[in-house]
Formats: sequence, C-alpha cells, structure tokens
Amino acid sequence: MPLDKSVLERTFPDFEFRVERGKIREYALVLGLTDPVHTDVEAARAAGFDDLLAPPTFVRQFWHENTENDPMPHLGYDPKRRLHGEQEFEYHKPLVAGMNLKGQNAIVSTREKEGRRGGMMTFVVIETRFLDETGELVQVARRTLIETAAPPKEA
Amino acid sequence: MTIATKYAKWEELAEGAERELTVGPITRTDLVRYAGASGDFNPNHHDEIYAIRAGFDKPFAHGMLQGGYLARLLSEWLGPDSFKNLKIRFSAQAWPGDMVICKARVVRQYEEAEQPMVEIEASAENQRGDVLIKATATAAPRS
Repeated sequence: MPLDKSVLERTFPDFEFRVERGKIREYALVLGLTDPVHTDVEAARAAGFDDLLAPPTFVRQFWHENTENDPMPHLGYDPKRRLHGEQEFEYHKPLVAGMNLKGQNAIVSTREKEGRRGGMMTFVVIETRFLDETGELVQVARRTLIETAAPPKEA
Repeated sequence: MTIATKYAKWEELAEGAERELTVGPITRTDLVRYAGASGDFNPNHHDEIYAIRAGFDKPFAHGMLQGGYLARLLSEWLGPDSFKNLKIRFSAQAWPGDMVICKARVVRQYEEAEQPMVEIEASAENQRGDVLIKATATAAPRS
C-alpha cells in the first residue's frame, strides 16, 4: 500500500501529559538502569534535579497518546510491513517527573525508493516536539518509519 | 549542582576510549515489560501467530529495547543528563534468547562554547556478531 498522501495535508492536535514518577521508574527498571537518579527522588535531588530524571529514550511512550494526534496510523502503511528504521533524539533540558509537557507531532519528510527485491519502499519522518509549561523546548524525537516492499523475512 | 564521581572523568574520555555493556539473554518477558513501559503494543513483539503471519519466525524485540540498552551504556558512562543528541539506526532484529552486546567509543573530544564535548559511535550486536543497531551521540560529560 503506498503512502496515503492526504496525510501530508493534515495537522495533528497538540497533546498534553504529566510525567509520572512511576512510569520513569518502570522504564528505567526494564532497561536495567542502575543510576538512582531514575528511581530514588532523594538521589535525583542530590544530583541537582527537581525530581526523578527520565532515561534518555523515555519519551518513546508519548509518541502516540491516541490516534488523533499521532500521524503513524494515518500513513496508510500495512502494519505487517512497517519498520522503525531510525530514531533520533535531541536534548534541550532535563526531563523530570512532575513536568507537564505538551507534545506536537508533524511529518517532516517523506521519500520513496526501489526495494532490493523490487517494489517501492516508503520512508516517513515524524517529528515530536516536547515543550514545558513555559513553552521551552525540552526534547525533540524524530522517528523514521519504513513500509517495506514485501514482508521482511529476515533483517 | 552536585557532581557525581561515578561517571567517567574528562581525562578518561580521550579519543578511542571504549565502554561495553552486555545484556541478556532477552526473554519474552522483557519484550512484554518493554511494551508496557513504552506503550508500544505492536503485536509483532508479543503475538506469536500475528508475527508468523507477518513473515517472522516468532515475536522479536522492539528496536527501542536495544536502543534503550545502548542509551543506558552511554548514560552510565557519561552521565544521565549529558546527552545533546542520540541517533539510532536499526539494522536487524533481536530475538528472544539473544544477547545484546553494546559497545561505544569516543571518536572526538572537543570544546564547544567552552563546554567539553564528546562525539560517540556505538553499536549493539548479538552473540553471533550481527549488528542490531548503530548509533551516534554527542554529549557534554558530567564530570
């Protein structure tokens, strides 16, 4: 299924959420992060943070708060041929528990190319900007989503 | 700000300095826990029948699980708030039972606006030496 080009005309509503201590701890523990700045409030404060510090890839959980503000389900991709090709993060200020963040999603680039075994591959880059309550940029996440030409049998 | 001493010191981050972290073997429970922690419920990562119908042998790890392990290595090495950017490219799937061997190396040590900075190249491989992900990062080390 080719890219549904109408998605490029769409805008996606901002979404807001509170960064919770429990989710930060859970994310850190799954990855085995032993640094107490992610799990112990006192240790986080002793290290100079206002509260528990989110691990570097934590914002992954906010990419699709719901289907209205996430471009991904509107790309027209076959979910069985959808791959996460690249992921980029930009860090502007510490992301800590208790922050109320606003997320803004946009499609920032698209391209197509011939697959190695024929058929077209599609590449879409979705950018999510995370702002704090004062409107300052906290982090930017950019994910490259690929629709492969055929079901990926091997990597 | 209190500077923790457990992170690498500037003189330990010369060009060519390396650090490794081995995680695993990955279990299906790890995949389910990562799904819950990240909110990524793509069935390819937990639903055997769905994954097989999509052309895979079985469920496989979220790319961001390996990405998270690699970020953990960098975070525990350079400091948890040291990152300026991190770019991860996914090359191959990690399967339950696989080890994830993360390696990182300083490729450049420099100053930017009087701020000591390092540029890192990193990768994660499985126990067969297949590259799972490659990554680059720039960071302002904590100590």
